Amino acid sequence: MSMAEAQTVLQVENLSISYKVNGGWIRAVRGFQVEVRAGQIYGIVGESGSGKSTAASGVLRYLAANGRTELESRVTFLGEDLLAKSRREMQPVWGAQIGTVPQNPAAALNPSIRVGEQVAEILRRHRGLSRQDALDRTVEMFRRVRLADAEGIVARYPHELSGGMQQRVVIAMALIASPQLLILDEPTTNLDVTTEAIILDLVRELIRDEQAGALYVTHNLGVIAQLCERVIVMYAGEIMEDARVEDLFVHPLHPYTIGLLNSVPRLGQTKRDAGLISIPGTPPSLAELPQGCVYAPRCPLAIEICKTKPPLEAPMPGRLVRCHRWPEIARGEVSVIGREEKAVSPLAAGDLERERLLTVENLTKHFPIRRSLVQALRREQPAPVRAVDGVNLNIQQGRTLGLVGESGSGKTSLARLIVGLLDRTAGTIDLLGVEIEGSVRQRSREILSELQMVFQNPQNSLNPYLTVGQAIRRPLMKLAGMNRRQADREVQRLLEAVSLRAEYAQRYPGELSGGEKQRVAIARAFASNPALIVCDEAVSALDVSVQSAVLNLLAELQQGLDTSYLFISHDLAVVAYLADYIAVMYLGQLYEVGYGRDLFLPPLHPYTEALVASIPKMDPQDHTQPVRLSGEIPSPRHMPGGCRFHTRCPHKLGEICEVEEPPWRGAGGEHYIRCHREPDDLTGLQQWLLDEERE
Amino acid sequence: MARFLLRRLLFFLFTLLLTSILVFILTRVLPGDVARVLLGREASPEAVAAKRAELGLDQPLVVQYVEWLGGFVTGDWGTTFSTPRQDIAGIVIQRMLNSGRLAGLTLILAVPLSVALGVIAGLSEGRPLDSAISILTLSVVSLPEFVTGLFLINTVALKWQDNPIARAVGWFPASSAIRADASFREALPAMWLPAMAATLVLMAYIVRLVRAGVIEELKRGYVRMAVLKGLPYRVVIAKHVLRNALIPTITVIATSTGWLISGMVVIESVFSYPGIGRLLVNNAINNRDLPLIQAIVMVTVMVILVANFTADVLYAILNPRIRLE
Amino acid sequence: MFKQLSRAPGRIARPVWVGLAGAGGVLRELMRSPQSALGTLIVLFFLMLALFGPQIAPYRANDQSSAPRLEPGGEHLFGTDYLGRDVFSRVILGASSIFRTAGFGTLIAVVIGTFVGLFIGYQGGTVDEIAGRVIDALLAMPALLIALVILGIVRNLNFEPGSWQARLADNSVLLVIALVYVPIVARVVRSSTLEIKTREFIEAAQMRGESRLYIIFREIFPSVVPALVVEASLRFSYAIFLVASLGFLGVAARPPSPDWGLMVNENRGGLYDLTPWALEYPAAAIALLVVGVNLMSDGIRRAVQKSG
Repeated sequence: MSMAEAQTVLQVENLSISYKVNGGWIRAVRGFQVEVRAGQIYGIVGESGSGKSTAASGVLRYLAANGRTELESRVTFLGEDLLAKSRREMQPVWGAQIGTVPQNPAAALNPSIRVGEQVAEILRRHRGLSRQDALDRTVEMFRRVRLADAEGIVARYPHELSGGMQQRVVIAMALIASPQLLILDEPTTNLDVTTEAIILDLVRELIRDEQAGALYVTHNLGVIAQLCERVIVMYAGEIMEDARVEDLFVHPLHPYTIGLLNSVPRLGQTKRDAGLISIPGTPPSLAELPQGCVYAPRCPLAIEICKTKPPLEAPMPGRLVRCHRWPEIARGEVSVIGREEKAVSPLAAGDLERERLLTVENLTKHFPIRRSLVQALRREQPAPVRAVDGVNLNIQQGRTLGLVGESGSGKTSLARLIVGLLDRTAGTIDLLGVEIEGSVRQRSREILSELQMVFQNPQNSLNPYLTVGQAIRRPLMKLAGMNRRQADREVQRLLEAVSLRAEYAQRYPGELSGGEKQRVAIARAFASNPALIVCDEAVSALDVSVQSAVLNLLAELQQGLDTSYLFISHDLAVVAYLADYIAVMYLGQLYEVGYGRDLFLPPLHPYTEALVASIPKMDPQDHTQPVRLSGEIPSPRHMPGGCRFHTRCPHKLGEICEVEEPPWRGAGGEHYIRCHREPDDLTGLQQWLLDEERE
Repeated sequence: MARFLLRRLLFFLFTLLLTSILVFILTRVLPGDVARVLLGREASPEAVAAKRAELGLDQPLVVQYVEWLGGFVTGDWGTTFSTPRQDIAGIVIQRMLNSGRLAGLTLILAVPLSVALGVIAGLSEGRPLDSAISILTLSVVSLPEFVTGLFLINTVALKWQDNPIARAVGWFPASSAIRADASFREALPAMWLPAMAATLVLMAYIVRLVRAGVIEELKRGYVRMAVLKGLPYRVVIAKHVLRNALIPTITVIATSTGWLISGMVVIESVFSYPGIGRLLVNNAINNRDLPLIQAIVMVTVMVILVANFTADVLYAILNPRIRLE
Repeated sequence: MFKQLSRAPGRIARPVWVGLAGAGGVLRELMRSPQSALGTLIVLFFLMLALFGPQIAPYRANDQSSAPRLEPGGEHLFGTDYLGRDVFSRVILGASSIFRTAGFGTLIAVVIGTFVGLFIGYQGGTVDEIAGRVIDALLAMPALLIALVILGIVRNLNFEPGSWQARLADNSVLLVIALVYVPIVARVVRSSTLEIKTREFIEAAQMRGESRLYIIFREIFPSVVPALVVEASLRFSYAIFLVASLGFLGVAARPPSPDWGLMVNENRGGLYDLTPWALEYPAAAIALLVVGVNLMSDGIRRAVQKSG
């Protein structure tokens, strides 16, 4: 903490919030406390259901209709007790003194009102400005949040803006009246990593300029490390730990914090180095909280005393922890890592190359666009959307090919083409030397059984009306040709393989947690003993502590069964962890391919460089200001000519990038880049990455 | 927007075409031999054959359909089967206008009232006021039009007829059997009761939809955001909630036209009001007057489609998503 | 947030229709709220009348042994009508025709509409585009109007007694109800199907090479059931409404059958001739049954939504 203490903006003590669900009260947040000073960004981090958003809503004094704040709670804002205020008395506070940036900007904007008016109405209400003055100030604010063409945008409707632009409008909305406190609830969660990085820069800068206090709610530890001064870790509605960010990342005291930090794969960490250390089990239901420490059932250090409630203690000034065993942890007498997770067996140098399982050549998918009226009259055919445009790749037996790119890069279309859920426009797919048909409808049973998929959303990938047993049994009987008895036995074996108890066969998906559902989906994909499984964002919807366990499971199964994966994710670190070989995709084409770790060392394609640079580092000390991409991914309907990346490229050479398709260039070993610049040239430009590596 | 409206217009024409085919099947094919229907069971075969030739029924069905549709489009709707043989276009249009003004009066009564009730119920979701409105509309929606109609006659018209004001104004007569060519001033007193009966029917329908719309809108993120901007409650409701909640209401009111017309058929029968519904039941169906049935159904469907199309246009104008397309 | 709470792991959240399998489960769910319990009891009461009417009713429907226009009370609980028929017995005996026409009509519409909706929804593409337009176009015509016209025309046709046409004509009300509701049910099922079709478990089934029939009936159909149950109960209440209105307009049942709508119509003159009871009791029976069905269908909708 700085010597000259800034003014305290917000003081929360003993905040408890309950929701009425099915006639009973559920205590979603218990004994929350925080003190936010001017100019300070205070992070609240936790997984889904941890109560972090609820606590923020409680501070705002705005709960859902079935929520209530318990009597003992205190929320003091600039010396005033907010909980004593009525809704009407809160009106001068909301918008003027406390600004809010909600999770989903698209939902926070009224679709039938121009965005300028939606910001300007705050000034008219709180500052008594005239319509014109308010609008002028709005234009000014839009410039500050770097909305290009601010004058034009005030007159637009929300649906005319991209996700990143909508988020800037909402940030402008929160800041327009210069509030003393900002509450940001997962403001970048739905954005691409490149856009997220830019928004985070913006938020950091604006809060510093305004000298406002801020509460920043997120599930992303990297964002906390990059943005916040202090952080609260929440679990099952309680504070587990509260510390300066540097202290938390370097010397975490709570087993849960340690578990969380361990479960996130760092960029460059791979399955060959070590298994991810995951937290066993799932968060408890708030309706049936464990007696004593809420984390005890999952805690590797839990002992007898943990059956009693630990107090929130202060090991040192400015630090809080809720654990009976923190002194032992602080002294290093106990380790949370009970068992060392097995790494996948390392490979001998020559062992990397194996026989090709799947070869894709010139794979192309163009979605035709409906003609507009004018085009129909002129007999023009509009250019199709080139979702996948001439992709060549191959996957080796027992290996993982990782595919990364922003949303809109065409990676999901590519996956669906390979498994046959989409009909290709052109190109060939070769499985074990045999060319296969494009669509699942035409493929034979043998080919279907060799290609399976794990989908992104565990909520939707299992039929809610079929039991787990039925879901897994079907491919066994249909594709593996088993009879009912054999299939039932095999179901038990598969459940065991994905670490689920046999009794799960009788359960319905509604009774499973997200991680358990994804395990069932994995078991189902493995049922037909396929040669290749396509995982499309298979762990993206999961909380980090669950995600790491699923990643370990995927790695283990692959090693045991020699299955190949095509692993798709927007999360570079996750892909890098699991993949042996990585391809980077942008606007329907591959721009870089190479062996896992090589790919994150220079030279990199400028696009990959930007992706790497955009990941919020898990290190609070790292304040390098690397490259940022300008603008957003162009619509594939208006495909840029030449190198498709030239519109956003920080290292653009000149006209050649706009007109000529870049060539593939070797960058050493099996590493290839598609760029007009020479690899050596790029290495020079990316010196910062090497510097970082050296540290 | 042009594209949207063009699509709707094409749909309008398609529906009309489909309706005409259906009507033709219903009135020409379903009854079997129309000439026999017309002349009765005892007619001689020669007379039937002559009638068939006269009506063009000896032609192939497709030819008959095209001729009939052509006549309909050019305004030649033929004459009634039953005597006196009247020009169908004349009476149908006259009765349609009568029904139209009854429907207009109903809408004037029903729309503001039910939108207000729906908004109130939606804003006070789950509270006693909402329950009261919901129970009221649920019970009204459960009463068939003829029951409400007869109830109104039994109470308002018969039991309260000694009320001096009612007598002086001449409102609420038990029967609305006025002349078909009565002027609006003459007709108005007789229209109040049927309009009230129709209002009840329509109201229950609109209230429920408006309530649902408001409740859904209140859950939106931008309503929460509007509150957190510090805007007063009335501004949040008027500017952010109602604007979006009421745009679909326009469509609701237009689609309720079909509902209203069904109600009119029954209500006009109850009150003996000389509108299109009574023409259909009393003259067309009871007399097996096939050309008259054809004309009435076609005109009715056309009215419904015009109402829907108007709603689409209004919706497109009010909704920026479509307007700016 | 609180939605998440209710879905927190460990809680039992079995799909409703699995939990509700069997009539007992449905009833238990409905009895939870007083309104839907009341509605269900009303419907069950009328169902009893429909099934055992002849055993319960004190008089035969067309027994004219008593004096006309007797006031309610004594021997004739609801009085007698202008022909001296017992109104109480006629109201009881009328229940069966309304359940037969409205109930079976709805049932047929639900079965056919479900098939149509599932197939065109799953097929998608041009088939769905065209079928969807045709359904929309059919729905532009008010159900009452179509029913009125069809019945008005069919009613006047004379068929050989015992021929298949005559048998169809005898059930014309039931068939017309089914006919006008098929497109409505089909539309509901189609839109559900279109939504469910995009879920990933359908793609997983396609990747197993499942047949179209398997995907439609095993994978999609169960998810359509909640929406279908709600729609069916709603349709049933409108069907009762429609049958009563058609009876009142004189195109459904023929005198002297004890049809509620027809009874109201026949005794309309009676209002002025001071036999209002002959009209009020059947009218009340219609209203009560529709209220009951509406309350019940509200309850069904809540039960389905709660678990959805």
